[in-house]
Amino acid sequence: MVISKMMAKICKRHGLQAFNYLEYPSLIKGGHQTGQVFASNYQADCQKKDLDILITLNKNGFKEHRDEITSETLVIYNSDAGHLDEKEYSHLTKQILEIPFRSISKEKTGSFNAANIAVLGVSAYFLNFNRAVVRKIIEDEFAGKSEKIIQDDLLAFKAGYAAAKKLGKPIKQTPKSKDDQILLTGNEAVGLGAIAAGIQFYSAYPMTPATALLHYLAAQQQNYPLIVKHAEDEIGAINHALGASFAGVRAMTGTSGGGFALMAESVSFASMAEIPLVILEAQRKGPATGLPTWTEQADLSFILTAGHGDTQRVVLTPGTVEEHFELTKVAFYLAEKYQIPVFILSDKFILESHQTIPKPQLSYSLPHQSMIRSAPKDGSFRRYKVTKSGISPRSVPGQKHGLQLTNSYEHDEFGFATEEIKPTVNQVEKRTRKMDGLIKEIPQPYLVGPKKAATTFVCWGSTINVVSQLIQTQSIEKKQAVNAIHLPVMWPFPKKEFTKLAKKAKKLVMIEGNQSGQGERLIKQETEISFADRIHRYDGRPFYVEDLQNWLKEK
Amino acid sequence: MSCITTSSIKSPIAPTWCPGCGDFMILNSLQKAVSELEIKEANLVIFYGIGCSGNMADFNYAYGFHGLHGRALPNAIGAKLVNHNLKIVIVAGDGDFYGEGLNHFISLARGNHDVTVIVHNNSRYSLTTGQSSPTTKKGTKTKSTPTGVIEKSFNPISSALAAEASFVSRGYSTKPPQLTQLVKTAIAHSGFALVDVIQLCPSFNKKENHLFFAERMYDLTDENHDSSDKIAAILKAQKADRIPLGIFYQDKKSVPYHAQLSQIENQSLIDQWSAKTNIRVAMEKFK
Repeated sequence: MVISKMMAKICKRHGLQAFNYLEYPSLIKGGHQTGQVFASNYQADCQKKDLDILITLNKNGFKEHRDEITSETLVIYNSDAGHLDEKEYSHLTKQILEIPFRSISKEKTGSFNAANIAVLGVSAYFLNFNRAVVRKIIEDEFAGKSEKIIQDDLLAFKAGYAAAKKLGKPIKQTPKSKDDQILLTGNEAVGLGAIAAGIQFYSAYPMTPATALLHYLAAQQQNYPLIVKHAEDEIGAINHALGASFAGVRAMTGTSGGGFALMAESVSFASMAEIPLVILEAQRKGPATGLPTWTEQADLSFILTAGHGDTQRVVLTPGTVEEHFELTKVAFYLAEKYQIPVFILSDKFILESHQTIPKPQLSYSLPHQSMIRSAPKDGSFRRYKVTKSGISPRSVPGQKHGLQLTNSYEHDEFGFATEEIKPTVNQVEKRTRKMDGLIKEIPQPYLVGPKKAATTFVCWGSTINVVSQLIQTQSIEKKQAVNAIHLPVMWPFPKKEFTKLAKKAKKLVMIEGNQSGQGERLIKQETEISFADRIHRYDGRPFYVEDLQNWLKEK
Repeated sequence: MSCITTSSIKSPIAPTWCPGCGDFMILNSLQKAVSELEIKEANLVIFYGIGCSGNMADFNYAYGFHGLHGRALPNAIGAKLVNHNLKIVIVAGDGDFYGEGLNHFISLARGNHDVTVIVHNNSRYSLTTGQSSPTTKKGTKTKSTPTGVIEKSFNPISSALAAEASFVSRGYSTKPPQLTQLVKTAIAHSGFALVDVIQLCPSFNKKENHLFFAERMYDLTDENHDSSDKIAAILKAQKADRIPLGIFYQDKKSVPYHAQLSQIENQSLIDQWSAKTNIRVAMEKFK
């Protein structure tokens, strides 16, 4: 799967926008794995269904991708995987070429290990990539490995390229222009955003599809003042992070739905005790163990209410990889200022897909929010002081005169437990008031595409990527059939702005990756807006532009 | 900065425990220990679980964190990693620490985090009016086990030793001078320190009263126990008929978790906080 990432990176270095979507089963080796790369001069927000080139390492690839092969698709088959009876497959496409990738690798390097790089060579020829760019990518990707491995890979690349040249002509031209982007996954964008926001503590228990964030941040410990703790379980993970946050640093935890289920009691605690915390909830296809390596958007209802009692929270639902980076910074800011749990609710599709984004600025300023510089010497510091904004001053252990009790029991202004009516009501209302300030600071929903359109899709989270690509496609075709309202936040629900946008729409269609319509249910609960139609997908697969085009045609 | 004294650490709130509860003496011993250790007021943080023991949160005037049932240990470790200059004490109960939070205890003891755990062990869930706890003796009839507990009781000392805790001890709420000394030694110990405190519960565990314990308890130092000998400690911990008090085991050379992290070798994590950051290095591999 590393090859498709390298493909996307080659496209990026040619100045193109690129997207790389990965599919794999829940096992360590084998199974049917794919990397699907789409690149464009204009916009690459998702993979394409109709393939230009399919390289398949076995016959199974024909079966698995028969719906994606068109008569124009160039299929390249690894002839080391057995004789291909052309008659069996010729109805699928006009051109099937056979290249023995494993044999090429063995002949040039003495081992089969470089077969994947030979694949890269074939792709580079048919797409007319700049060979120096590809060679540099190979050197970069395997930097740190032995010189022999890099040399072997370069030989396999050259041989793959030469083998392709014998069989046909390039199908595309890829001129090289300025590369001012970076390529990263949603998970990595969350990690990079967290570093830009000054994260100093991350604890997690491995769970697909949040694991890559754990890996990324663990590797960054050598570069930044950051501690990453692989916790004993998810309950431990969130509680390590809460302890770290209490002690004064920006802290985060991450998991998928099943792991988050174990964390629910601590979300309630963080809200009550007013401890800042950022939580990545990486949705995968549930319920229960579900389809562990496939995508879904079915944890929204759970996240909105997880945790006992009346609690405060923010639920951010970023779409593109770039928005993951931007909103992670927002998440840390809101969590610290309002002393609440802030969720980044995302999904396997975008968290494990690579996407190009413009190179972000390098320097960030990180002033503390709602933390005191010094406490009064007379011991009168009140950690849970009742204020108009609901935000109380916060001290951290080690700070002189700031002694305080951070408490899961209902408490008075000092933090001591209370069961009295007045302080109880005061504290409940104080915490609730924080939402008044928050609603003004959360990201707002926005319109994507033309101002007027026959159909307006409403999206939250990664679905906007596909809809946005659809809109880009129609703009090339000079159509104005579709636009979209994207919700980068689902709680507190941005009623005012959403209603404003939704009222302008001719026909509202909700599109979400779950069976029960969780986003639509929330919108019904919060606004007067109703939908003309809805599209749901709940088979673990992401939406495709081509499917939406067909849906529009049928309507 | 001023040091903790037995009066400075007293909160304005009077303890709410039952008359005769062992918790009073544990509170006194802890307050005495931290004042004798001359810990700076702002540098002590006490993490509490939920139960009668956890209610101590309101009776200390110190940095405190009264979290959820069973979760005090991971909270405490998160804080210690952020600021390892803090002295961290965890106050928990037997249901809290050996029941709900058992996975944290067994998993995290191995990390040798430099924290001190004081477990109020009265073999009952008392705040919920007297059900059996993990340390209740087999056969004991309680409200939740009307025909007697079927499980054998949990052995915290053996478990701590098996889980590689570097300081394992037991005190008794009715022997405050020894308990104070144990808490002091535990806090001074550089690594994971367990002080299991046998505690009277006059409300829900009337049979295991002071007379019951006095007959069975002995001081490990009276029998020349060598606390650096782990095998001897395991043997002592496994004897069911007698209850040893004191230090079972201490690895004086133990290296705590935080001292094995290169990123906080020279400065604590929180002291490395900067108002500015640059992501150039973090995005190197995305170029």
